[in-house]
Amino acid sequence: MPRLTIDGREIEAKAGQTVMEAATEHGIFIPYFCWHPKLSVPGNCRICVVGVAEKDGGEWVEIACNMPVSEGMVVFTNSEKVRARRKATMQFITLNHPVDCGICDKAGECTLQDYHYEYNGERSVSVDAKVHATKHYALSNRIVLDNERCIQCTRCVRFTREISKSNGLGLVNRADHSLVRAAEDGSFANDAYSDNVIDICPVGALLSRSFLHKARVWYLEPTASVCPGCSRGCTVNLWHRRPEWRLKAPGMQAANASVDRVTPLENPAVNGPWICNKGRDLPKLLGRARAEVAMLKGKPADLPGAIAQARSLVAAARRPVAIVSSWGSNEELAAFKAAFGTRLEAFVKADHLPEPGEVVEDSLLIRADKNPNTAGATALFGDRAPAIPKDADLVLVWGEGLDFGLIPPAAKIVYLNAWLQPENGHADVFIPTSIQTERDGHYTNFAGVTSAFSKCFAKPAGVADAETLFPALAAAGGGAP
Amino acid sequence: MKHLIPEFEKMKERFPAGFESSLVLPCLHRIQADRGFVADEDIDGLVAYLGVPRVQVEEVLSYYTMLRREGIGRHHLQVCRNIACSMRGAEGVIEHACKRLGVKPGETTADGKFTLSTVECLGSCGTAPVMMVNDAYHENLTLQELDRLIEECK
Repeated sequence: MPRLTIDGREIEAKAGQTVMEAATEHGIFIPYFCWHPKLSVPGNCRICVVGVAEKDGGEWVEIACNMPVSEGMVVFTNSEKVRARRKATMQFITLNHPVDCGICDKAGECTLQDYHYEYNGERSVSVDAKVHATKHYALSNRIVLDNERCIQCTRCVRFTREISKSNGLGLVNRADHSLVRAAEDGSFANDAYSDNVIDICPVGALLSRSFLHKARVWYLEPTASVCPGCSRGCTVNLWHRRPEWRLKAPGMQAANASVDRVTPLENPAVNGPWICNKGRDLPKLLGRARAEVAMLKGKPADLPGAIAQARSLVAAARRPVAIVSSWGSNEELAAFKAAFGTRLEAFVKADHLPEPGEVVEDSLLIRADKNPNTAGATALFGDRAPAIPKDADLVLVWGEGLDFGLIPPAAKIVYLNAWLQPENGHADVFIPTSIQTERDGHYTNFAGVTSAFSKCFAKPAGVADAETLFPALAAAGGGAP
Repeated sequence: MKHLIPEFEKMKERFPAGFESSLVLPCLHRIQADRGFVADEDIDGLVAYLGVPRVQVEEVLSYYTMLRREGIGRHHLQVCRNIACSMRGAEGVIEHACKRLGVKPGETTADGKFTLSTVECLGSCGTAPVMMVNDAYHENLTLQELDRLIEECK
């Protein structure tokens, strides 16, 4: 275990670590563009220079990302020599960069912008005109590329080679004509993880088309959540409008309660720093038309009336069956179990099945089960496939995705669903429920790891939370208290 | 490209197993020598033969300006315009060749006989100015010699 000193602090590194890795592990910050903890080391940006003491009292500089630690090494991250070299490197990196932060989506969360203020802070000393390159280049139908902002760190290229393994990107041409480009075989467009290159881009070169010019990032705040797209349960940040930056213009109210973008929430136990493109598209899934009004046989009713009617149906049933949602949180599932006990014969259903064209399963993150909490639900209710007995006289269906043709025609139907769907009107009692972004909860993923999601928005007025709804439905009906 | 595969197999023997990507450059050179340029079907064939990602072949092709994606004239005149040649009259050679052939550097004559290119150092500064006609070096080039070479090639 080599011991070394960084800025006067003695640390014990692991054998084979680089100075960058050892420093990062011990909470010492060294700036970097091209280095990434999950990618190979190209050493091309040179911003991570550090000083190393020489025996005669001098100091030489070397990049921290590619320098192995050695016993007794004395490293400086902020010596005069290092500061001068960093400043020169920043001048070099911004040689052809347009510095158009004012109109750039990355502004506010841009590494280059931060480092410019931190380590350079001066105008370009170059007297030559900047090299012009393509702007608004469609790298795929999801990502736009501004080649002038690109600093050729090749993080995106290495991501497609080492992580997503699509080999979808490359750096074509040479020197200051170099351009990041997608392979002509279209492999990048089919890369199910392509949007991660937007996050790892240290500048504003790679931007999300769906988020482009939607909001300044400082108008948004992230809420920790769990992607419900499959049973991996990747932890994500859902970005939505900060309360103090609410839009007040007429017609813009919906934008205050919508998810503007989704980014990975780094989690070594589940997804590392990545998520798939389906996770990025959660705003579409969560933005579907909502059911907000309770119904009795398709006719609008008030929520308390519908709950009372459902309660009496459950109480009167002799052979009640429940189809439980694999999108319910652990809290909701526990509330169901506590409310109904064994009064209802419960089956867990898959609310979602793989969509046509969707990647069903791969070796990185994507799982074939397209539901977030199958593990949590089957732990309580077993993993039998839904088989509704012919003599069932009441079926309580929780969540979308059940073919109502499987329900015996004579059985009464109590349906809880969050979305505006045709089945809603076929139920004897329909009760609209809240969605993931309107409550706190936990999902348990396929491997048994439980992750928390938090509330982003208030639920609509006429909508019930399943967790409090189940005790209300069971109150007069017997079974568990 | 398929008829070159026996040659590629021989080249492969010079590399350790798993170094297919190292073969991209020599294979592209051989393809260009055979066809005069690298066609789309050559890229497809090479990707299939070597099993390397297509983007890797695209990167190599775009990095090296010596590798061509389109055909050129029968006689390729490459005039060095690096510093030693420029000081010894390369600019005049280029200007004269342009006038004689009626093309600009990078262009091919209408009859398809000549392509004129300017290149960086050909590594023959001691005998500047230098021009290559296809694979042959012509050193200490004078305008008379240039005229004679063009006549000879016509």
